Amino acid sequence: MSSVETPIAVGMVAPSFVLHDDAGRPLSSSETRGRPWVLAFARRWTPGHDAGAIRAQLRGLGAILFIVSDAGVWSFRPDDDIELTAGPSRRLRREIAELAARWGVDAREDGVFVVDDHGAIRFAHAPSGELGATLATALAAAGRELIGLPPRPGITRRDWVVMSLVAGFGVVLLHGCRTPGADRPPAPAPVAVKAGSDVDVVLRINGQDRRLRIDPRTSLLDALREHLALTGARKGCDHGQCGACTVLRDGHAVNACLTLAVAAEGAAITTIEGLARGDQLHPVQSQFIAHDAFQCGYCTSGQILSGVALLREGRAKTDDEVRQQMSGNICRCGAYPNIVAAIQAARKEV
Amino acid sequence: MKPFTYVRPADARAAITAAGDGGASFLAGGTTLVDLMRLEVMTPSAVVDLSPLPLTQIERAGDGLRIGAMARNSAVATDPLVVERYPLLAQALLAGASQQVRNMATVGGNLLQRTRCPYFRDLAVACNKRAPGSGCSAIDGYTRSHAILGTSEACIATHPSDMCVALAALDAVVHTRGAGRERAIPFGEFHTLPGDHPEVESALEPGELVTHVELPASPFAAHAHYVKVRDRAAFAFALASAAVGLDVADGKIRAARIALGGVATKPWRAVEAEQALIGQAPNRASFERAAAAALVDPKPRRDNAFKVALARRTIVRALELAWGAA
Repeated sequence: MSSVETPIAVGMVAPSFVLHDDAGRPLSSSETRGRPWVLAFARRWTPGHDAGAIRAQLRGLGAILFIVSDAGVWSFRPDDDIELTAGPSRRLRREIAELAARWGVDAREDGVFVVDDHGAIRFAHAPSGELGATLATALAAAGRELIGLPPRPGITRRDWVVMSLVAGFGVVLLHGCRTPGADRPPAPAPVAVKAGSDVDVVLRINGQDRRLRIDPRTSLLDALREHLALTGARKGCDHGQCGACTVLRDGHAVNACLTLAVAAEGAAITTIEGLARGDQLHPVQSQFIAHDAFQCGYCTSGQILSGVALLREGRAKTDDEVRQQMSGNICRCGAYPNIVAAIQAARKEV
Repeated sequence: MKPFTYVRPADARAAITAAGDGGASFLAGGTTLVDLMRLEVMTPSAVVDLSPLPLTQIERAGDGLRIGAMARNSAVATDPLVVERYPLLAQALLAGASQQVRNMATVGGNLLQRTRCPYFRDLAVACNKRAPGSGCSAIDGYTRSHAILGTSEACIATHPSDMCVALAALDAVVHTRGAGRERAIPFGEFHTLPGDHPEVESALEPGELVTHVELPASPFAAHAHYVKVRDRAAFAFALASAAVGLDVADGKIRAARIALGGVATKPWRAVEAEQALIGQAPNRASFERAAAAALVDPKPRRDNAFKVALARRTIVRALELAWGAA
C-alpha cells in the first residue's frame, strides 16, 4: 500500500476523521454511518442566526452536517448537535489543520463535500467566496429539490437526499460563481508608471476582461462610465458619501469613485449591467420593481448592488440591520421604506 | 487631481524603496487618499499601491492577536477571533463609515486617516495642517466638530477614527518596517499631538510601512463597550465616543480602560478616569466619579463647549453598557 494519501475526488470513499476537544470529547465521522453527510469548511462561520434554519433544513433532509470554522467544529444532526469549541483548544486546532489538509482545503479557504450513505464522495467544491453565508441557502435549495420532485422508481430516499444535497450546493455555488468573486483574475504584475504617462490595464468587469489605456488618475467609476460605456454606476458626490457609484469588488460593495481603476486590476468587478442573466433579472432587481423601490432612479444601481452584497454576506437580518448596512446609499427621493421591503422580499429568493 | 507616479511593488521591500523620497504616499483602501487627492488637499508625487502585499491576515499571536495592515475593516469587524476576544474593536469598526467604505478601508489606512476638519479640506482657506505656517481658520471659525483636548494654537482638528479609539483602549502595538529597521510602536506613541507642527500626525518616518497591529491578551472582553454619539445614527463622524473595558473581580474593578474619540486631536486615553475606577464597585456613582476625573483641562471653543459634558456622559453610558447595567 502506498503511504501517500490519494487526493480527494468525487467517487472515492471519504476518509474517516475524529476530532477532540481538550476534555477529550470526540466528534467522529463514524456517527454518520448509514446517513448521507456534508463536510463544510466555512472559516468565518460562527453559530448565529442561521443555526436554527440549518437545523430545520437538516431535519427535513435527514442528513448530518459538519461545519469546520476558525471558531470550532459543529456537527448538526437532525436529532441533537455536538459542538467542539473550548477555545478552540490547541489539539483541536491541530486536528482541524490536519483534516483540512487531508481534504485538500487550504488553511484559509472554504470548501464543501457531500458524502452519500455508502461513504462515497458525491460532490466536492472549493468556493472562492465565503461559504458560511450560503450554507443555510444551499440546504434550503436541497430541501426544495427533495420536496419539489417525486423520486423516480428505483431510487432510495437516501440516494434522493444525496442528489438533492448535491443539487442544492451546486445551485447555490453556481449562483455564487455568477455573482462576484468567483471569477477573480490572476494577481497583476508589478508596474511603475511615470507621472503624466498612461498605463495599460486589464479590468475584469462582469466576467469579461476589458483592456484599457488610461491615465493612472482615472477612477474605476470614470473607467466604467467614460471608457467602457457602462453607465449604470452613477456619479453623485464623487467622494464616497452617496453610494450611487457602488459596484461589487470580489463580491463586496465598494465605492467605484474612491477606487483607482489601475488598482482594481486583479479583482472581479460586478456592475448593475452584469447582474441579470439574459432577460432574467436578479431577485433584488425584480423586487425593486415589485416594491416600487425608486422614484428618479439615480441611486438605484448602487442601492441594488449594496442589497445584493448584503444578502450574499447574510449578516443583516432585521429591517434595522438592513437600514444600518445600507446607510452608505443615499436616496434623495426618500424611497427608503420600499428599498428595505424589496431587499427583505428578495432574501427569500436568493 | 495632480499627476502622480503609480507604483505597484512586488513586495514590501520594493514598496518601502519606492516610497523612500518622502513625497510618496502608500495607497491602501484609498478611502482617505483618493478623496483628498481629488480635492488636491494631498498631492503625492508617487502613489505606492499596497494591495499586492500579503498583509491581510488576522491570526493568533501568543495569547494575543496579530492583524495585518491590509486587513479590511469589514473583515476585522466580523472575524470570529475579534468578535470573541476584542468585541470593543468589532463594535468600533462597525460604528464607522458605511459598508462600502468598511469593505475598502484597511487597518493601516485607518491608523493614518486624516481629519475631517472642513478647513483642512478647503483649499481656499488657511490651514496649518495642509499648508504649514498658513494659519488656522478653525480657531476663530465654526468649531462644533473640533477638539477640546490635545489642541494647540496651530490646530484644533479632531482625529476622526473610531477604530483607533478601541485600539487605544486595547493597548495595541503598531509594527512597522522602514528602510533600515523594524519597529514596534506602543499605540499611545503612534499618533502625535499637533503642537507647532500639525502637519506631522504620527511617529512614522518617510517610507516607513505599517505591517501589522498586535493586540495583547485582553481581560476586558466580557465587559467592554463602544458608544458613539453623532448627528445621525449611521455614516457620521463622532461628536464624542468612548471605548471602555472593565476587569471586575469580587465586586471590585481590578483594571479599567477608557479611550475617547471625537473630542481630541488624537485617540485619547482617559488615564485619570481609569485610575479613579480601580478598587471601586462598578456602579453609577463610581462611573460618574470617573467621568468627572476625565477631560483634564479641556479647551472648549465657541461652538464645541457642549463636548465637555457630552464626553463625560458618553463615558458613563459606555461604562454602564459594558457592565451590563444600562
